[in-house]
Amino acid sequence: MSEEPRIGVFVCHCGLNIAGVIDVKELTEYARTIPNVVVAMDNRYTCADPGQEEIRKAIKEHKLNRVVVAACSPRLHEPTFRRTVAEAGLNPYVFEMANVREFSSWCHPSTPEEATEKAKDIVRMAVAKARLLQGLETIEVPVTNKTLILGGGIAGISAALDLAAMGFKVYLVERGESIGGHMAQLDKTFPTLDCSICIEGPKMVDVSRHPNIEIISYADILSVEGFVGNFKVKIRKNPRYIIAENCTGCGECRDVCPIEFPNEWDMNMGVRKAISVPFEQAVPLVYTINMDYCIECYKCVDACGARQAINFDQKPEEIELEVGTIITATGFDIYIPYDNSLYGYGRYNNVITALELERLILAAGPTGGKLVRASDGKKPHSVVIIQCVGSRDVNKYEYCSGFCCMYALKHSIQLKEKYGDDVEVYILYIDMRTHFKGYEEFYQRARDLGVNFIRGKVSHIIEDPETKNLIIRAEDMALGEPIELVAEFVVLSTAAIPSKGTEEMARILNVTRGADGFFMESHPKLKPIDTATDGIFLAGACQGPKDIPYSVSQGSGAASRAATILSQPTWKIEPIIAVVDPNKCRNTKAKCGICETRCPYGAIKAPEGQPAQVTTAMCHGCGTCVAECPADAITQMHFTDAQIFAQIRTALEKNPQDKILAFLCNWCSYAGADLAGTSRFEYPPTIRAIRVMCSGRVDRDFVLEAFRLGAGMVLVAACHLPYDCHYISGNVKMKARMEALVKIFEKLGLSPERFRVEYVSAAEGVKFAELIKEMTEQMEALGKEEIKAENEKLQPTLEKMLSKKQA
Amino acid sequence: MPMKLLKTETENELKVEMILHAKRYSLTLNKARCTGCGICKEICPREAIEIKKVPKAEGEEAKPPTIDVSEEKCHYCGMCEPICPFGAPEVMVGGEHVVPVIKTESFPQLIREIEVDATRCPLDCVDCEEACPLELIKVSVHTPEGEEVTDIESRQNKENLTVTVDIEKNFCPCCRLCEIKCPEDAIHVLKIFHGNLRINREKCPKDCQDCLDVCPIPEALYLSEDGKIHVNELYCVYCGVCKIVCPEDEALEFNRTYIRHTPVRSGAWNRALEKLTSTEVMKKELQTKSSKKAQESLLESVKKTFPWRTET
Ligand SMILES: Cc1cc2nc3c(=O)[nH]c(=O)nc-3n(C[C@H](O)[C@H](O)[C@H](O)COP(=O)(O)OP(=O)(O)OC[C@H]3O[C@@H](n4cnc5c(N)ncnc54)[C@H](O)[C@@H]3O)c2cc1C
Ligand code: SF4
Ligand code: SF4
Ligand code: SF4
Ligand code: SF4
Repeated sequence: MSEEPRIGVFVCHCGLNIAGVIDVKELTEYARTIPNVVVAMDNRYTCADPGQEEIRKAIKEHKLNRVVVAACSPRLHEPTFRRTVAEAGLNPYVFEMANVREFSSWCHPSTPEEATEKAKDIVRMAVAKARLLQGLETIEVPVTNKTLILGGGIAGISAALDLAAMGFKVYLVERGESIGGHMAQLDKTFPTLDCSICIEGPKMVDVSRHPNIEIISYADILSVEGFVGNFKVKIRKNPRYIIAENCTGCGECRDVCPIEFPNEWDMNMGVRKAISVPFEQAVPLVYTINMDYCIECYKCVDACGARQAINFDQKPEEIELEVGTIITATGFDIYIPYDNSLYGYGRYNNVITALELERLILAAGPTGGKLVRASDGKKPHSVVIIQCVGSRDVNKYEYCSGFCCMYALKHSIQLKEKYGDDVEVYILYIDMRTHFKGYEEFYQRARDLGVNFIRGKVSHIIEDPETKNLIIRAEDMALGEPIELVAEFVVLSTAAIPSKGTEEMARILNVTRGADGFFMESHPKLKPIDTATDGIFLAGACQGPKDIPYSVSQGSGAASRAATILSQPTWKIEPIIAVVDPNKCRNTKAKCGICETRCPYGAIKAPEGQPAQVTTAMCHGCGTCVAECPADAITQMHFTDAQIFAQIRTALEKNPQDKILAFLCNWCSYAGADLAGTSRFEYPPTIRAIRVMCSGRVDRDFVLEAFRLGAGMVLVAACHLPYDCHYISGNVKMKARMEALVKIFEKLGLSPERFRVEYVSAAEGVKFAELIKEMTEQMEALGKEEIKAENEKLQPTLEKMLSKKQA
Repeated sequence: MPMKLLKTETENELKVEMILHAKRYSLTLNKARCTGCGICKEICPREAIEIKKVPKAEGEEAKPPTIDVSEEKCHYCGMCEPICPFGAPEVMVGGEHVVPVIKTESFPQLIREIEVDATRCPLDCVDCEEACPLELIKVSVHTPEGEEVTDIESRQNKENLTVTVDIEKNFCPCCRLCEIKCPEDAIHVLKIFHGNLRINREKCPKDCQDCLDVCPIPEALYLSEDGKIHVNELYCVYCGVCKIVCPEDEALEFNRTYIRHTPVRSGAWNRALEKLTSTEVMKKELQTKSSKKAQESLLESVKKTFPWRTET
């Protein structure tokens, strides 16, 4: 927009919320004096209908092409006023908000004059930005109304059935030979003790029969490209050496195959044939030849006969799918405690994991459901179940694995119900966690059956070399003394850990993982199913240990989240994105690509010899690349360098040495500052804040410019490290950048307290107020003169640094 | 219990085991029987077997190579057991002697055709027993009641006594020494392996007689007066251990051309044959040995396994 800006400023009283402290008349008068402001007026409630109508009328009457509303926080009413200006025929993005309520009247009630002065600065800064605002077009992308679900455990199955029922095409990609996941390995399920495969089996069959669902099993995801509504997924189907359409699942080939190998499905406790299915109820019921073991005797070919389902020439096949959304339901794995010598797992034959126990007590398991010791094939008469093996262990996995307490209760109940007094069962636990519906009652059932609960931690397990019984020493926390138990069998409730390949999946899907290694949700409370990448959702234990009811619920939740996108013909994306100026980008001449390494979303690519390019729909608009680009070749729409420089310069026009110039990220620190205001925490009116979407946007040059102009203090405030950032890792990138800057300042002789990087969450209103108080005190302690003197010394260097940049 | 893979070795045995909670497998190699010929190594589908040459000490005879089996790789298919002419390996599944590939007829067995007509045996002859280099023959004399007689000389009713020749066939490589040494033509042995063996004496390093040192069959190789090694193919069992120890590649030409075995009912034999003999032989073998149906399915499978083979 090259036309002369014609700006209208609308000052809100907000009843007495603003007008009670700030002199609104004076502020309005002042606004009129700012260049390019053609009209300024005040209103009791600008957000109410008459207030909005006034704006719309003024736009028409005064031919306004920019609008500033001085009222509350943009986090509250920016959308409202964008709509208002749009209704009057303007682009919604030519609107800017001056937050004079949360940032002034509410936090400086006892110094009304200074509050008014600060409000003037805030309005002037808003006008400065408004002058440079440009209309932006909302981006719309088409949506492919198909979905891909990764992982066919109970979570993936639930999501698939729900989406299929809504009429969407579902590709269910499973790495293993069969869908079903861990649930298909279990014997019975708590708290009702239904047979696991009896309740899951029918669902698995439903999946295979549903016309909208295509199971792609025995397959690996190779790559995912694209963005919400438009993902392209490359998949490799691994050869089963069986033609799926011809295989009837009769198993005649298996019967003639000479070769047996350990069955992973049975936790390697039993065997399967080189041509087989991992378990009888496998879906799809298609056999697989394990070429690592097959001796190519072709007995199976003969047995298969006219069906001709066996094909030794099968090759891996790559396919590409186009989908609008992806649901990740890759589940968990079980920790195998080889590395912890305390438990003797692998060394003592009669120590097993809980998942091994599931296979042992299952009628279709390797022992036909007989609970026998590996050492002598006899049924044990005393079983000790040890909880928290690997879980809640600072040296291993710090988190609680969630379902172990419940399955240990289940195992104890199953043993007691089957063998009665013939078996003595002990559970050694730290805490029993039985919090969901029906779980506490289940705990009671175990107690009623005479299961012995001992609260304590194991210190030692040794094997009696003759009987192969295990002698367990522990500290009984209730009695406060050491105890010793002799067990014929020990079952370890081991931790649930991220499933194998989670790291690679995180990379391929561009989804973050938490410190525990599981996938991270976008927001732990409000977006528990979304990932930071739009269009990709989480279900089940891949996000952290979850039991079956929880996994099923989340599967349905993910289906519904995915449907919000799939049900739309197009998807709207906020145009606040990064744009590269190909003429400025260095990558054409020299290898740069810094932006590519910094973008938390993989949205910007710098192919060798070509200018960097942003995939619009993948860009979340954090601005990290913009701040990092050494050639200033990237612009973030609506938060351009020019706009922010204008805000900085305006903020520091008068008495800069008395001011704290702050860059606050929208989601945490700006919200924290808002909260300080809403909570009426009073702090000195020294701060002038500039809102950025992410702290990652804060360019080194902004800080340099602020000091060049003589700012007293500069603050960059972000979401807490490491995971609070709403753009995955913008704060991490900012931290690295600012740490380098601090070193420069050190050399230049800037007093260290004058430049602060802080982490303030949206909940930390108090912290924010305290921080500003503290910084103001420090500023005063340093003294105006000292600051001025320091600035004078710094200025030539800063000018040079900034001019080199501009050249 | 998690799976355990074990290997134990004693003076007489090498044993690998796979122990699962619900089932156990073992392969025991009888070190006294094993000649280190490595036929098993050739056919093992898992490449679990390794031949280890035993370094020759100065001034001593060459020692036959030893066999090592990897407990990580062996999957107890049992193919090595029926192919071994000396019957050195034994596979056990679940505590019983079971050879999986034999049970399902996925692999043929060697045919040891040994016919003994003991009626021709004189009561006091033990020539075959003495001739057998592997001590597999036991000659005994019995009364009609089945009682073993050890004092033939002092017996009266000698015409009532019968001679029994017991041969532990499973361990016999069919060298024919017993047949040749039998004065009464009472034993007939057909070779299992056929082939040819030639020693190019001019290529042999000076004073080397390593092949002769390791050969399990006396007289299959012998030293002539001029100190050169000669082959007597009459006795050679074509185990090939001589080829393994021979230090000079061109000195010893060794070839198997034919293997006597039970009817082939599977494709695994192709791969074995491919490794143990030449292609030509294999084709011939396929044409002559198999029943019509088996032949078709075999050719089919050969086509699949070795597509380049069917062109010739
Ligand atoms: C010993 C034991 C007993 C239990 N007992 C109970 C019980 O009684 N009641 C109860 O409610 N819960 C129980 N649980 C918990 C239960 O197992 C889980 O709640 C459930 O399995 C979670 O389902 P899921 O689909 O999220 O993950 P999973 O069951 O782990 O399924 C994940 C699926 O994704 C596949 N996959 C993984 N990675 C990929 C990839 N990269 N690409 C494609 N596919 C992939 C896997 O092959 C698997 O099929 C028990 C757990 C254990 C260990
Ligand atoms: S060819 Fe392989 S899979 Fe088929 S029967 Fe033989 S060993 Fe088993
Ligand atoms: S770094 Fe941020 S602004 Fe830049 S391309 Fe990535 S998401 Fe967009
Ligand atoms: S049993 Fe089979 S796998 Fe094991 S060594 Fe013998 S041939 Fe090889
Ligand atoms: S000469 Fe014959 S029997 Fe002797 S080692 Fe060589 S192949 Fe074996």
